[in-house]
Amino acid sequence: MGVVLLCLLGVFLVWRIDSPRVERFRAQVTDQVMPNMEWLMAPVTGAVNLVRNVQSYQRLVDQNRELRSELRQMQAWKEAALQLEQENARLLDLNNVRLDPRLTYITGVVIADSGSPFRQSVLLNVGARDGIIDGWAAMDGIGLVGRVSGVGENTSRVLLLTDATSSVPATIQPSGQTALVGGDNSAAPLLDFIENADLVRPGDRVVSSGDGGVFPAGLLIGQVAADRNGRLRVRLSADFQRLEFLRLLRHHGTERVDDPGRLILPEEDLSQSLPVGEPDG
Amino acid sequence: MANTSIWWKRGLYLLLALAILFWNLLPLSTLPPSWAGPDLLIALTFAWALRRPEFVPVLLIAFVAFLADLLLQRPPGLMAFLVVLGAEQLKTRAIGLRDASFAGEWAAAGLVVIAVFLLNRVTLALFVVDQAPLGLMLIQMIATILIYPVVVLISHLFLGVRKLAPGDDDAIGARI
Repeated sequence: MGVVLLCLLGVFLVWRIDSPRVERFRAQVTDQVMPNMEWLMAPVTGAVNLVRNVQSYQRLVDQNRELRSELRQMQAWKEAALQLEQENARLLDLNNVRLDPRLTYITGVVIADSGSPFRQSVLLNVGARDGIIDGWAAMDGIGLVGRVSGVGENTSRVLLLTDATSSVPATIQPSGQTALVGGDNSAAPLLDFIENADLVRPGDRVVSSGDGGVFPAGLLIGQVAADRNGRLRVRLSADFQRLEFLRLLRHHGTERVDDPGRLILPEEDLSQSLPVGEPDG
Repeated sequence: MANTSIWWKRGLYLLLALAILFWNLLPLSTLPPSWAGPDLLIALTFAWALRRPEFVPVLLIAFVAFLADLLLQRPPGLMAFLVVLGAEQLKTRAIGLRDASFAGEWAAAGLVVIAVFLLNRVTLALFVVDQAPLGLMLIQMIATILIYPVVVLISHLFLGVRKLAPGDDDAIGARI
């Protein structure tokens, strides 16, 4: 018994000292265990969701009425969107804009969640075999969900924006204020480090800023909302209620402009001039 | 034979533990919960350790708890260490508690559950590891203590994990 206890304590100490090694081991274990469970997990999840759907049928009439009124509003928006799309296409054409071809994605299926109420992450069925790299952004169809944190051979873990250890640099539109979206284990992450909070209003859009080079810029995160204590939070656009398919965006880092510009400076000054470290994006 | 039935029960424990882990891992809701369910694995382990220590040997508990640590994204080793320690503590008191009422047994198990959660929290604080919210942890601790009688009842009625009464020798008599 003493030996067992010592081993367990030893593992904990090693984890504290050399976390990456043990986390790799954890990813390997998950990689071995989870695919074996998947055949059972999918049908059980499906069955439970089926039961939940049946329960929601009881409120069908109410839902129907709500949906109809929403549909009416949506038709107005659709009209506006179509007009804007045409205008956008025309403007893009005028400006000769080239969209970034590297922003392609791999879609993975959620096979498990973190299993603990204290951690917010999901496990996907794609891994190093599919070319997944740590740090890539994960989205559902609409908004940012989180980032890849831990890649096994066949599985990878996505740390959700709602996890207490997650924080993502963001820009608030239209004021252009930068902020950090930091999860705190609640459904709506906190907005931290806003330069001038007076310029930010509930309802503003929050998009990723690309600072730090981990995420591409311009991914929709959600909308600003104020909670009861008056603190600013983000109402996430992605549907966290039911994450089933996630897109992992291929991203190979944001390039930086370090070159001081060779036309004006004489050659000998070039070596002395330090790059002014403004990360673009 | 008595010996095979012990191995059956050990297998059953492993199966139940895997089922609990499996249930925890189902991606049913990915929203952060505002409350935390009980830690069924701890309740099951402690109930069995207290009632029939020979069904849950140290190595089995350690294996299950360590696997849970790895799969549930907890700091690996710490919770397993505490669960093994708690279960062994309960095992040493099992004989003394054999004649006690259920309330006494519940109190003993509850105290160990509290000790496990508190030690876990204190150790994590000492090692400066990110912590779960205190409220959520307290809810989980209380839920675990509350679920203990249910686990005992199910074990007693359906799984055949009963306390040995005087004169019973359906287990390997010599080792008790």
